[in-house]
Amino acid sequence: MTVRTSPTPISFFAPSADNWKLAIFVGVIATLLATLALPAAAAFWVVGVAAALIAAAFVVNAYRRRYYGGLLVAPAIAVLFVMNIFPLLWSLGLSFFAYQSNQQSIRFVGLQNYVKVLTNDLAAEANWYALINTAMFVVFTVSAQMIVGFLLAMLFAKQFPLRRYLLILVLTPMMLSVVASGVFFTYYYDPTFGILSYVMNNLTGQQFILMDNKVGAVAGIVFADAWMWSPFVMLLVLAGLVSVPKYLYEAAAIDRVSAWRQFWTITFPYIRGLLMLALLFRTIEAFKLADLVILLTKGGNDTMTISYHLIRIANEQNKTSEGAAISYVMLFMVIVLTNLYLYLANRRSQGT
Amino acid sequence: MPPSTNTALSLSGVSKHYGKVRALEDLSFSVQEGRFFVLFGPSSVGKTTTLRTIAGLVRPDKGSVHIFGRDKTDAEIAGRGVSMVFQSFALYPHLTVYQNFAYPLVEEKVAKDEIDRRVRETAAMLKLDKKIDRKPNTLSGGEQQRVALGRSLIRRPKILLLDEPLTNLDAKLRHDMRAELKRLHRQFGLTIVYATPDELEALSMGEEIAVMRDGTVVQIGTPDELYEAPQDMYVAGKIGSPHMNMIRGRTAKDRSAVEASFGPLSLSRKIAAEAGEEAVLGIRPNDIRFAAKGEKGLDVSISMLEPLGDVTVVSVAAGQETLRMVLPESAATGLAPGQGASIYLDPKKFHVFRASSGQAIA
Repeated sequence: MTVRTSPTPISFFAPSADNWKLAIFVGVIATLLATLALPAAAAFWVVGVAAALIAAAFVVNAYRRRYYGGLLVAPAIAVLFVMNIFPLLWSLGLSFFAYQSNQQSIRFVGLQNYVKVLTNDLAAEANWYALINTAMFVVFTVSAQMIVGFLLAMLFAKQFPLRRYLLILVLTPMMLSVVASGVFFTYYYDPTFGILSYVMNNLTGQQFILMDNKVGAVAGIVFADAWMWSPFVMLLVLAGLVSVPKYLYEAAAIDRVSAWRQFWTITFPYIRGLLMLALLFRTIEAFKLADLVILLTKGGNDTMTISYHLIRIANEQNKTSEGAAISYVMLFMVIVLTNLYLYLANRRSQGT
Repeated sequence: MPPSTNTALSLSGVSKHYGKVRALEDLSFSVQEGRFFVLFGPSSVGKTTTLRTIAGLVRPDKGSVHIFGRDKTDAEIAGRGVSMVFQSFALYPHLTVYQNFAYPLVEEKVAKDEIDRRVRETAAMLKLDKKIDRKPNTLSGGEQQRVALGRSLIRRPKILLLDEPLTNLDAKLRHDMRAELKRLHRQFGLTIVYATPDELEALSMGEEIAVMRDGTVVQIGTPDELYEAPQDMYVAGKIGSPHMNMIRGRTAKDRSAVEASFGPLSLSRKIAAEAGEEAVLGIRPNDIRFAAKGEKGLDVSISMLEPLGDVTVVSVAAGQETLRMVLPESAATGLAPGQGASIYLDPKKFHVFRASSGQAIA
């Protein structure tokens, strides 16, 4: 076996195909110039080509220096870049312009979009309701999912007949598309032929319309969301429960410790981290809740959420750059929220 | 503490099967109060299952478990007055040493200051007083072992079960802990049932040893009894190091000798076997020596020397058999493989077994 020495490091200015540092430098300059000087449609393509060149430089560099690990993850990175990172950066850029997707004109306005979102939009009462509704959905759906998911996990941690099949059944809602589940629930809740109305009608003798008031509409949405996402919490908690060594329970049985104390001193420490993770994931998701609202109430009966508001602004009213600004404000709120969680979680695990 | 005649624990006819796997089969033994009782046998002979049956973690299919005269076969784990140290220690990883010690007491509604007193007393006894606020995973193996022991002792159990407690420790610690365990046993007058695959542990600690094979007890006795009068070839092979020499042969016509491949070996008594029946003659390596002048010896050739410091294990070939003998280092100097020698086998030291069943012949 011959040991081949890797090519010598190239200087920054050498116009070589594997000079990724230079590629980034040129790419960033080209992006800045294009966005400032060219119309948006043209700038989009310039930035795209610059990104592709940088990616190509990385690949050539990895190949020449035999960073095969790098080559292997390159497709994943490329997809991530195209689907996530580029849109993220592009929309960040857009939020500083006045731009509508159904018009050609584009104009740099600095922070004006943000000023508008944080003054005009917040002054409007409807937006406050959307924000409060979002917070309410976060609290209700996440607590419902955490409780149901946790109880399901406690159940499935035990062995009983048909456990495997029931587990698959319980996990199904999580795997269904949101639209499909949403359609299920519109049928369940339907005032004329839905099963819920049918049962209530037989019990009370009156027509029952779940969605005709705010409480019913919120309950319907929360129930559907909990139905879909409790299995996710269950899966995480179950992983924690299964990881508790069985001999600890045996030792506790010999030490004559009650089931309640066994749970708090043995089981809970093993699942605390995973519960925190589930809480984090579900809170972020619940914060973005829009799909079920669109499918079940279309925002009626005061069930508007901030995310649905954003979709209306950006897609239905074509206010693209204003939508981008709103999403960045939302992103900021989510980041603050998650960091608060993580801070509290870390402080709890370090303390005592 | 004077030796008691109370039976602390007795198992009779206990069987346990897991599907087709036989874990315990017709297992019976009883332990006197205050005894250090050892279950000895290689891995997977059912030592752990036996302990778990006593503790109540396993319900036997058949047979009964009596603890201090009461039938506890189907009793709850809590009502048995039995404590157990697991091979894995099973310390509660999220609790400190102090909390691990206090854990069994809190449930018994012991007063707070009494708990504190007993925890500190136990920690001091096990030399853990400086580690009392540490979590188990920051302790060394030996310290973890002592925490596990302390947690079992703090409840003052009547019977303490120890499942290979020293297997996970290094040689030096094992030596120290053996002494420690013996001291604790004497100090508290505990009844201890101790499972181990280690011959040295069994012989050095056990007041009584049950040798186990395939889920049942082959022989119970004091270390001396097992060494001097093994009732089975299995026991003879497990107890004593180096292993007992086993010479195959046939019972002679007058039943007072065994015909080996290299010639007849006369016995000190007539044995209860048919003439011509296959028999195995066992003799411990320590019971073989070179023949003195004028003594009728067996002519052999030396095949291998294993110097072990103070003693040397000498392997000699006699006919098709290879015998091992242990000599003081001084007696082995000047020997070399290939040399001829004459050895003396003391007829009084012979153990005779039936080849078919492995049992000792009277």
